[in-house]
Amino acid sequence: MPPVPGSGLAKGLAVTLRTMTKKTVTEQYPEVQPELPPRTRGVIGLFEENCTVCMLCARECPDWCIYIDSHKETVPAAAPGGRERSRNVLDRFAIDFSLCMYCGICIEVCPFDALFWSPEFEYAETDIHELTHERDKLRDWMWTVPAPPALDPGAEEPKELAAARKAADKLAAEQEPEPDTAPAPKPEGDE
Amino acid sequence: MNLHVAADAPQGFLSPTGVEIAFVLVGLVTLGAAIITVTTRQLVHAALWLVVALGGLAVEYLLLTAEFIAWVQVLIYVGSVVVLLLFGLMLTRAPIGRSPDADSGNRPAALAVALAAAAALVWVVVDAFRTQWIKLDKPQGTTDVTGSVLFRHWVLPFEALSVLLLAALVGAIVLSRKSKDEPGGNGRQNRNGRPTPKAPRAQSDPKAQSAQTSQSGQTSQSGQTSQSGQTSQSGQTSQSDQADQTERTR
Amino acid sequence: MNDALDVALRLLVVFVVFLTLPLVIGQTEHKVMAHMQGRLGPMYAGGFHGWAQLVADGVKFAQKEDIVPADADRRVFQLAPAVALLPYLLVLLAIPIGPGEGAVGEVIDAGIFFVLAVMGVGVLGSLMAGWASANKFSLLGGLRTAAQLLAYELPMLLAAASVAMAAGTVSLPGIVAAFEWWWLPWQIVGAIVFFVAGLAELQRPPFDMPVADSEIIFGAYTEYTGLRFALFLLAEYAGIVVLCGLTTVLFLGGWHGPWGADGLGWVWTLLKTAVLAFIVIWLRVTYPRLREDQLQKLSWVLLVPLALAQIALTGIVKVAIN
Repeated sequence: MPPVPGSGLAKGLAVTLRTMTKKTVTEQYPEVQPELPPRTRGVIGLFEENCTVCMLCARECPDWCIYIDSHKETVPAAAPGGRERSRNVLDRFAIDFSLCMYCGICIEVCPFDALFWSPEFEYAETDIHELTHERDKLRDWMWTVPAPPALDPGAEEPKELAAARKAADKLAAEQEPEPDTAPAPKPEGDE
Repeated sequence: MNLHVAADAPQGFLSPTGVEIAFVLVGLVTLGAAIITVTTRQLVHAALWLVVALGGLAVEYLLLTAEFIAWVQVLIYVGSVVVLLLFGLMLTRAPIGRSPDADSGNRPAALAVALAAAAALVWVVVDAFRTQWIKLDKPQGTTDVTGSVLFRHWVLPFEALSVLLLAALVGAIVLSRKSKDEPGGNGRQNRNGRPTPKAPRAQSDPKAQSAQTSQSGQTSQSGQTSQSGQTSQSGQTSQSDQADQTERTR
Repeated sequence: MNDALDVALRLLVVFVVFLTLPLVIGQTEHKVMAHMQGRLGPMYAGGFHGWAQLVADGVKFAQKEDIVPADADRRVFQLAPAVALLPYLLVLLAIPIGPGEGAVGEVIDAGIFFVLAVMGVGVLGSLMAGWASANKFSLLGGLRTAAQLLAYELPMLLAAASVAMAAGTVSLPGIVAAFEWWWLPWQIVGAIVFFVAGLAELQRPPFDMPVADSEIIFGAYTEYTGLRFALFLLAEYAGIVVLCGLTTVLFLGGWHGPWGADGLGWVWTLLKTAVLAFIVIWLRVTYPRLREDQLQKLSWVLLVPLALAQIALTGIVKVAIN
């Protein structure tokens, strides 16, 4: 059956009229905070304790908006007679968010989990220079990074945790040779 | 003619009433605008001054309480004829500023024709009314009166005029038809050129219009209108081509 | 003296209506259009749901510099907005909103001819603007305006002639007074033709080819700024008021209502006008712009024959009744 002439026109009118009766999708942002997903990519936070100044992030950044300065320090040998180690110390870590295109490559590429996405997005400035966030500001963003999701109930303990606990247990065993107190701070799941 | 003619009222040209003064003033404005229309060197300004002249004429009709004629004057002349004129001017040539080449060589002939026409009109009016004085206390040219006068006493001239319009329409269709051998011309649809019922006289003449409609109503749905649409459309495209050319030359 | 006061009062009322109703319609358009598109529209100006947005716009327009292009024809350019706006003010004078002498600005014997004639004059403003701007986009806009006016004036007049034939008078109050309910189905085709042609004459979407922003920026109004631009916009919205009022008066029975008390006639007129204005906005939101050739075709191929058929029908029924 051919369509009735004008039915398309009527359908169009119906669509607009129906839309008018529905709730609008406008976000009234300054008055009402938007409901963003928890892992929204708003700003990049730096967990500088993890940073080893490997420079991978700065090198991979497509628009060169990460500035890193560092110097080397020598650490005296841990054990007597051992070799001195050299270590990179971070002097400056800055991200210019006026250049950043929020691709997230730096976060992906960081081998030591020093960079994180934070959902914060309200950091507009009136001066473009203010958009270059230095390390202390980047460190502050870390407090807004949500905690990593909990493990599944039956999941294996992460490798890092297991290794750390093993070392801690060993240390404890050395310091306190008595066998009764040894298993005291043992959490469950340690198998 | 049921004009209320005051038999021997003591009317004179001295001590004029306010309406009469207004009439003369508007008449002067109209005359001035008309003179500027034909003397100005700026084409579009001429058309706009024509608006003033025609509007002044409408006001004169109003002052003579011929309301219907006044509004039809505005509707047809200001609303349609001048718009058409401006349309034509803009399509072809409408530079801002003076156009010295816009003068025509047959100025004397035009002046002669204008004088002859004016003389004929003045003579007819003067001869018809002589010294009759029409009182305008109560409206003389209402739609009612105009309609009954037009269709009781002057039906024949009216119909003759409609034949004139019909001839103009036929002429327009003949002009807008493309010849058969022209490449790209859609002569097949335009071959049976017949007048379209889009006469603008419908505004002043509902009766005759309806009569004509009922005649052409059967055909108008089928072939005639599609053909008229075709011609107007093709005319449109050629006009826009022309507009492009005008743009380029400007 | 009393007469002068009466006239002054009427003019004042019409002027106030002329200044407020277009703003009301403009604000309604803001909000209705926004909600039809899933948005909220203006929310800040004036506090409550942005009710003062158009006032704020007016203040903004008034602050802007009044620029006349160097190559423009200065006087014509500056005169054009007034020519576009004033006719609608005059038309508003003649539209009766209630029965009796008190509910119309000025009783005009040949009312239909007056309103249609004066509305046609308004288009001259667009033509003048388009020509005088010394801008090719403006000139094209002016040309399109003229072509559109020539195409749509005819069906509009024919539709109005039909209702005048039905009522046996060309006076607007006379037509409303003669209105009967069964005219509604009888004149429905004429009403639609009149309304559509009027929309096209106002250059409202979907007939806004003369101001098609994606092609010719803003047509004849491209070079205008500040208050003169605002006057053109005001003319458009005043045109909506006038068109809806006229359609109400001519085809929808004006102050007649299904259970109308005698004193409430003007409410019915305003209500019908408002509904029509809503439809104008609704059509704008719903339909895309017609192409220039479609625009011309719609008038010559569809509206003119429909209007002629309506006139024929009106004549037949009228003769049959008599």
